[in-house]
Amino acid sequence: MIVISLLAFVISLNSPTDPVERLVNSAVNESDLSSESSASEELRQEVRKKLGLDLPVFYINLSSLAESDTLYRIAERSHQENLSKLTKLYGNWSEIQAYYSSLKNLEKAVGQFKADSSLTATYSSNKLTTYKNKSILGAKSLFELNDDNKIIEQISVLDTLYQLRLFSSLNPILKIVKLKYSKIKRHTTNWKNYIPTIQFNGFLNQYHLWLFGDSDRNRGGVIRGDFGKSYIDNKSVGDKMLEMFPYSFFLVIISIILAYLISIPLGIYSAYKKDTLFDNVVSILVFMLYSLPSFFVATWLLYQFSNPDNLLWFPSNGVKNPATYNNDWSWYDMDSIKHQAPYFVLPIIAFTYSSFAFTNRIMRVSMIDVLGADYIRTARAKGLSERHVILKHGLRNGLLPIITMFSNVFPAAIGGSVILETIFGIPGMGGAVYEAILGIDIPMIVAVFTLTGALTVTGYLISDVLYAIVDPRISYSKK
Amino acid sequence: MIEENITYRQFAWKQFKKNKPALVSFYILILLVLLAVLSPIIANDQPLYMKYKDTSFYPAFETMFNETASGEVIENEDTINFQFQNIDWRTVQLESVYWPLIAYSPNTIDKYNRDYAHPNFPQRLKNYKGVIVELPRGLRHYLGTDKLGRDIASGLIYGTRISLLVGIISMGIAVVIGLILGAAAGYFGNDGLTLSRSQYWLTWTGVFIAYFYGFYTRSLALEQAFNDGIIQGVFSLFLSLIIAALIILTISFIGRKIAIGSFLKKEVSIPIDAIVSRIIEVLNSMPILILIISVSAIISEKSLWVLMIIIGLTGWTGVARLIRAEMLRIKQMEYIEAGKVLGFSNYRIIVKHALPNGLAPIFVSFAFGVASAILTESGLSFLGVGVPDDVVTWGSLLSRGRAEFEAWWLVIYPGVAIFITITVYNLIGEGLRDALDPKHKK
Repeated sequence: MIVISLLAFVISLNSPTDPVERLVNSAVNESDLSSESSASEELRQEVRKKLGLDLPVFYINLSSLAESDTLYRIAERSHQENLSKLTKLYGNWSEIQAYYSSLKNLEKAVGQFKADSSLTATYSSNKLTTYKNKSILGAKSLFELNDDNKIIEQISVLDTLYQLRLFSSLNPILKIVKLKYSKIKRHTTNWKNYIPTIQFNGFLNQYHLWLFGDSDRNRGGVIRGDFGKSYIDNKSVGDKMLEMFPYSFFLVIISIILAYLISIPLGIYSAYKKDTLFDNVVSILVFMLYSLPSFFVATWLLYQFSNPDNLLWFPSNGVKNPATYNNDWSWYDMDSIKHQAPYFVLPIIAFTYSSFAFTNRIMRVSMIDVLGADYIRTARAKGLSERHVILKHGLRNGLLPIITMFSNVFPAAIGGSVILETIFGIPGMGGAVYEAILGIDIPMIVAVFTLTGALTVTGYLISDVLYAIVDPRISYSKK
Repeated sequence: MIEENITYRQFAWKQFKKNKPALVSFYILILLVLLAVLSPIIANDQPLYMKYKDTSFYPAFETMFNETASGEVIENEDTINFQFQNIDWRTVQLESVYWPLIAYSPNTIDKYNRDYAHPNFPQRLKNYKGVIVELPRGLRHYLGTDKLGRDIASGLIYGTRISLLVGIISMGIAVVIGLILGAAAGYFGNDGLTLSRSQYWLTWTGVFIAYFYGFYTRSLALEQAFNDGIIQGVFSLFLSLIIAALIILTISFIGRKIAIGSFLKKEVSIPIDAIVSRIIEVLNSMPILILIISVSAIISEKSLWVLMIIIGLTGWTGVARLIRAEMLRIKQMEYIEAGKVLGFSNYRIIVKHALPNGLAPIFVSFAFGVASAILTESGLSFLGVGVPDDVVTWGSLLSRGRAEFEAWWLVIYPGVAIFITITVYNLIGEGLRDALDPKHKK
């Protein structure tokens, strides 16, 4: 479980988009370039604090001597990445920091720039906006450049722009930037990049916060079931999971039970009638089923049975909370069950199918093995009825591999639910994870991931308990 | 019966031949491989041979390696230069032409057969006179088209390529990892591999230092190399790996040399078996599909190679478990003991003596593994996760059928293709299992 949590955390860390940007953008509607910067700066800090991104990542981290230990405090992720690249190129953090703060000054000055009204008169308003936007974009793009040639080119572009009398107030600030940049290049300390250091960050880090939460920041932590907030609609992921979990859980459990209920008797019978016509037909059928992907079967089921041109027996999707159909209904009303049942038929068939073929094959093989054993012959020799021999002496031993399978069937069924829930439009975890991926909603993905891991571990536990029930030789109590 | 003097391999092949379904599957597999290899000749929107304005061209072959291949014709004493790819040759008057079996590439958009052209109903073509006529027999969409007018048969042929490639490469990765880890776990167990204390601890520090110099300080160079191109990127990654390996080996060597004194010399055993078993348990307890989807979500670039590597990295547990069990058995054999007595190195015993005797189950596991890798890939491409949008796979063909129930050919044909491939691999797996197991000797 710890490993799974760590893995989930690593996944959440490496997401390609910057969550802060997204949250800020969803909070503030796109406004024009100049007025955005100062207002969203505070907001950005606030969101970062909420997400805990203003902290170091882990308890310890490996870095080089050249690197800053406070890089994570910089608000924007693209700036962070660029600064760390600059550090790797020149190895002189203090100069780079000075350069960065001069850039910040420039950005601020450019943002607040108001031209003298006497000067603006000479330019047409169109030209004025072009110039302004050019200067804003130029200043912003400097934050994301690390290539020497490109930086110099960009600075010179700004330089020619600021030669205009209109921008004369900005010129000295650009000069400082230029100075700082040349200083970086003059005082390179590349050797520092090759000396490893290990930093200890204590408990105040992102992972600790993510796992255990922090009351000051109003975060519960994963361990208390708080997975944070969805990036898409800003709802609590935990609440969303609670809504979705029952669907997936119900379908997976029902389908596994059904699959076992069908495949075990069938397996026993075909093992008992080994090499007869019945066994051969069933074996070939099951083998073919085994090779058919479940998403194909599901699509085909929809095509056959919920197609207006073919057979319209079942609705194609619409497994929903009954309250959306009728306000008075809950899950357990008779009426609501009657109404809901058709929606569940096809999904349950598809879910059952996906684990049925596998279990049936295992059951048949293990039963054949068992029925060939000496103790079965002994039991027959004792004159026990055939029924008694097979169900009492044979079945218990034949069940063991199937129970072992249980721990494998569970994760497979959950994994398969991603595809099946998408096909049938079931609002469960599998479908949610797919949508979360499309929207790069990392907290959601991580939550589903962690929860499925936990479920699988539960599956292991159940299979261990079943072992003890079926096989009296196995006991978990210490003697 | 006289026992012939045959090798194990010949014996296994003889046994395999007796298993008729497996043998038939084997031939089908060869056919599939041929289809995959020859797909640009079987399905292509360029003719194999054509005569255009008294000049002979071989467009299908010329565009195979160079997509912007061009030809020249002389008309009214003017030279006209054209790119093969830019012209729909079906609408051009040609003196003579030989089309491939399927006259479409998987991404060719036939705008006169849009909106799910039925395989059996008349299909249309605007010919060189500008008149819309029925599509001639040789140019038909044999298995229909999708919404945009892309040919399904052609997609199926190219999908063979993808599925075989994904199955074999990802399982290849899985087998390599599984072999190494499984063999080490089975052969050494928890206390088989011992190092002196100094070497043990120095190797661990070496790992960190190697990571630091191989990857951390080179991260910028690596990123730049990958931006330049995939080949430079892989080369740079390879360089990083070499640097890292060299550092680990050097430091570990130093550790061995400075093992002086009773404290530093004390032997520490590495519990390889426990470590590998725990990793296997963790991997098995995760829904692999969700893991793969999550990982492909954080890798913003969709690429088949990434997909294959992920499937390979998660699919090795079965192989590792099998090899570990085999190794536990083989370890007890006399010939291993003899090897140890003769002073062979562990490496030599494992690679030359133990592994060849434990390889048989791997083939079986490989066959089943390929089947499940293909299933995973088609499931992912069905969802549209991880597979680039312009790559046509069976799964992506199937998912196009979800939008329109009328178009049963979009569901049935790819489904049957997946079904046949999976069945073939599974039957071969079963055949191999029976053939390689001497217990089944008749």
